[in-house]
Amino acid sequence: MDAKEQEFLDYVQGGGQVETEDWMPDEYRAKLIKFIEMHGNSELMGVLPEREWILRAPTLQRKLALTAKVQDEVGHSQLIYRVVEDLGKPRERCLDDLISGKSKFHNVFHYPTKTWGDVGVIAWLVDAAAIISQKALLKCSYAPYARIMKKICWEESFHILHGRDVVLTMMLGTDEQRELVQEALDRWWGPLMQFHGNPISREEDPMYVWRIKSQGNEEARQQFLDGYVPQIWELGLTVPDPKLRKNEDDVWKYSEPDWDELKRVVTGHGPKTAERLELRRTSREETAWVRRAVLAEAA
Amino acid sequence: MTDQVQKILEIADDELILGWRNSEWTGIAPLLEEDVAFSSIAQNEIGHARALYERAAQELGTTADELAFDRSPEEYRCSRLVQLRLVPDWAATIARHYLYETADEERIGVLKQSEDAELAGLAAKIDREEAYHRMHAQMWFERLHDEPRFKAALDELQPLLDVRGEHTPEFATLWEEMTSVRRSLAGATW
Repeated sequence: MDAKEQEFLDYVQGGGQVETEDWMPDEYRAKLIKFIEMHGNSELMGVLPEREWILRAPTLQRKLALTAKVQDEVGHSQLIYRVVEDLGKPRERCLDDLISGKSKFHNVFHYPTKTWGDVGVIAWLVDAAAIISQKALLKCSYAPYARIMKKICWEESFHILHGRDVVLTMMLGTDEQRELVQEALDRWWGPLMQFHGNPISREEDPMYVWRIKSQGNEEARQQFLDGYVPQIWELGLTVPDPKLRKNEDDVWKYSEPDWDELKRVVTGHGPKTAERLELRRTSREETAWVRRAVLAEAA
Repeated sequence: MTDQVQKILEIADDELILGWRNSEWTGIAPLLEEDVAFSSIAQNEIGHARALYERAAQELGTTADELAFDRSPEEYRCSRLVQLRLVPDWAATIARHYLYETADEERIGVLKQSEDAELAGLAAKIDREEAYHRMHAQMWFERLHDEPRFKAALDELQPLLDVRGEHTPEFATLWEEMTSVRRSLAGATW
């Protein structure tokens, strides 16, 4: 690292923020693009597990809330890809790399949504896990990304309320409804525990070193457990991990998450990865003529 | 059922079914901007359906959700036009959007003149949102009006606009799925 890069590193580690036009080391720019692009991909792929449930939503209120949530997510991906575009990677290339499997998206969006119970658990707990990561980006060293995160976190907090309400209504309903929620929690617990990544120390995490993230993976997971396990218990649900408990030192203990599964899934081998990427690929091909028509008009 | 309630249900059914059909583009539209636009339009439409069902429910002594989900498929009065599954055909989708919004402006205009002040107020509120749908439909109409596939879609779909009380096979599939969670457990609230 040369003196100029070291100066930059000291600056961001001291809480300094950078704007698009500022000088930045190539490595920092590459890391930013990789991280932010994966976030954009995740918001976009996050639409797919939920979109079909807009039709099946069992009341008008739920249908409206779910449509709004899914719309927010596409809107987030649009905003996030714009940040990536300013850093030098156009949206079309992000979409190409997403479809070809070259870039990644979050583990939780590679799984099926089996019942309305999953819809509630996703909106409540997957969004809760996500908002913990996203709140830690409010202090991101890259200022444009930190700024859009304000809007994103604000909207995500509504998703959590919607999800909690879906779950609560079912828990107050019939035995079969409670079973639907418990089964969904059983399915999602593994991916939720993997969500924040393996517990490498933050000093070894390049995203923390450059202050793209402001917390380590394990800190995020502890925060999730602290915020949500008591609520899960309060609703009468059982967390499918016999080792889960909070020690006297206020640290949550749990069974080792399946890191091999996480690796398999995020490298494109999740249960729904191929099908969802295929949907995105075919719909992109089928609508290519529209983009050509719009571009011709703009030229 | 009075003619007025019948008319309100007709519009509500159109808005509910078209709301779903428009939301089918969420996540897979040609441009991210159109994902957002179509799902925003879908939200408005489902919201309009809810308001209109609520209004009809007052007269019929039932609830908006029961009207939206618990009638038998034959009872829905939606136009054949809104029933069609058009994804991934963007030209046909825009043709439907344009035909529907143009016709909808006219009937909402009639409701706005209603002697029933509450209904006229509701129609005015709906129309304020529909104005943006019309702008969006018009923008795409201008972009695509020279495309042969768009012109063909307009010709093909236009006659379906006023066909009511007849359902496409696609509607039966849609109804099955739309009501599946609700029908899955007797006596459950959601």
